[in-house]
Amino acid sequence: MTIMRINIGPVHPSTHGVLRLVVDVDGDTVENVEPHIGFLHRGVEKLMETRMYMQSPSYTEKLDYVAPLSWDDMYVAAVEEATGIEVKEKAQYARTIMLEFQRIASHLMWIGAFCNDVGQLLTIFCWAFRERAKILRLLEDVSGGRMFYVNLRLGGLNKDLPADFVQRSNELVDDLEEKISGYPDVIEGNPVFMERTKRIAQLSKADAINYGVTGPVLRASGIEEDVRKSKPYYVYDKVRFRIPVGRLGDNFDRYKVRYNEMIQSIRIIRQLLILMPETGDVKGMPIKLIGPSAKPDPVLIERELPRGEGIAYMIPDKQRPYRISFRSPTFINLAAVKKLTEKCKFADIFPTIGSLDLVFGEIDR
Amino acid sequence: METKSEALVKTLEEMKIKGYDYLKKITAVDYNDHLDVVYIIYNIAEKKQEVVKVSISSSNPQIETVMPLYKAADWYEREMAEMFGIKIIGRKTKRLLLEKWNGTEAPLRKSFVWGNPNYKRQGQ
Repeated sequence: MTIMRINIGPVHPSTHGVLRLVVDVDGDTVENVEPHIGFLHRGVEKLMETRMYMQSPSYTEKLDYVAPLSWDDMYVAAVEEATGIEVKEKAQYARTIMLEFQRIASHLMWIGAFCNDVGQLLTIFCWAFRERAKILRLLEDVSGGRMFYVNLRLGGLNKDLPADFVQRSNELVDDLEEKISGYPDVIEGNPVFMERTKRIAQLSKADAINYGVTGPVLRASGIEEDVRKSKPYYVYDKVRFRIPVGRLGDNFDRYKVRYNEMIQSIRIIRQLLILMPETGDVKGMPIKLIGPSAKPDPVLIERELPRGEGIAYMIPDKQRPYRISFRSPTFINLAAVKKLTEKCKFADIFPTIGSLDLVFGEIDR
Repeated sequence: METKSEALVKTLEEMKIKGYDYLKKITAVDYNDHLDVVYIIYNIAEKKQEVVKVSISSSNPQIETVMPLYKAADWYEREMAEMFGIKIIGRKTKRLLLEKWNGTEAPLRKSFVWGNPNYKRQGQ
């Protein structure tokens, strides 16, 4: 038995960002995978300590540039908790709808990229991007930015919703449902996809808990854990939805969980569009040089981001955070890659890394 | 809840027996005269969360590893060691995680000033 050491990278194999892997192989069997990260480290947490509260959302958005709104929401919610500002009722609905649209957009991007890695070249990729563009167009009209929105203000949004928001959202949701429902036939009808995902890189329930993986990776291992259910925020307690779970915890289950989450998000948006009050103000506080002062108690905010559970732990100072620390979901998912690829074949590393939906902006911070 | 650094592993062991089997996050806060290390643990079955705080000295910061209890602690401890210069006792992997700071500086400590050394925060 001779162990050969192979260096991969630093490149981005199927990820958003730069990753270096050092892989020890025995023939074609993987003995050890050592991820090297930090190429995108910008010291965001330190930087935010020097900025006023409402200067920072543009930093949090760049942490996860595939789902910027979700991170923005987590940070702004932490500031709202610290300053004791309540979010207006209609703004809560508007935020929840936008967050769910963001989740669908993020999962679409992942499904496209993942299928690309696994042998479903470009068909699903183009379809997913076609659908994602429609969501981004709606969010652009709501916020003013296509990729980076920075439209959350303390207590609400930066401007009123467009007059035809509900009607357009309804049309978009119908369109998305019709288009997305056609994906499984193409994806799961492809034997190459099934060969490379079924029973590859399985993670048992006990390991999933011990390694602390989160989000779709945790749920694919059969654990029903979702912050939207266990600790509902905004108006998630007013809607009915299911938490999709997997059985085997393999690459296929991680795909299936994310796919079903998109269906559930569509369901949530439909209900919210009916429940959302027609009248009411969504505008939050304008950004001023000196904002409202924060209380010094530590703040802990949990959010179900598209990639898993995120935490913002903040020790507030009066006008800027004394210390802010984020739990990024893909950071801890990548830490489990050593366990996931145990005794895998060398070629299975890439679908496995792809199935974790890594974004290096939030891993390196 | 707060605990002493000598009793940390024992406390977490007891919490794990009570069902807190999922480690969400380890982080630290620098208060100049001391450091707080924060463990956020979670009970998946009963959906309960607990924050365990440990206060350690800032001149010679060290804390015992919780890797035997939670494998999830691995990267968090390495990140904390690099960012705060905290020595983790009983770890096998010594390699830094982000590999940016060579282990000589602790960038998230308040004593670390980057950029212009004459720059001072408003009100300081």
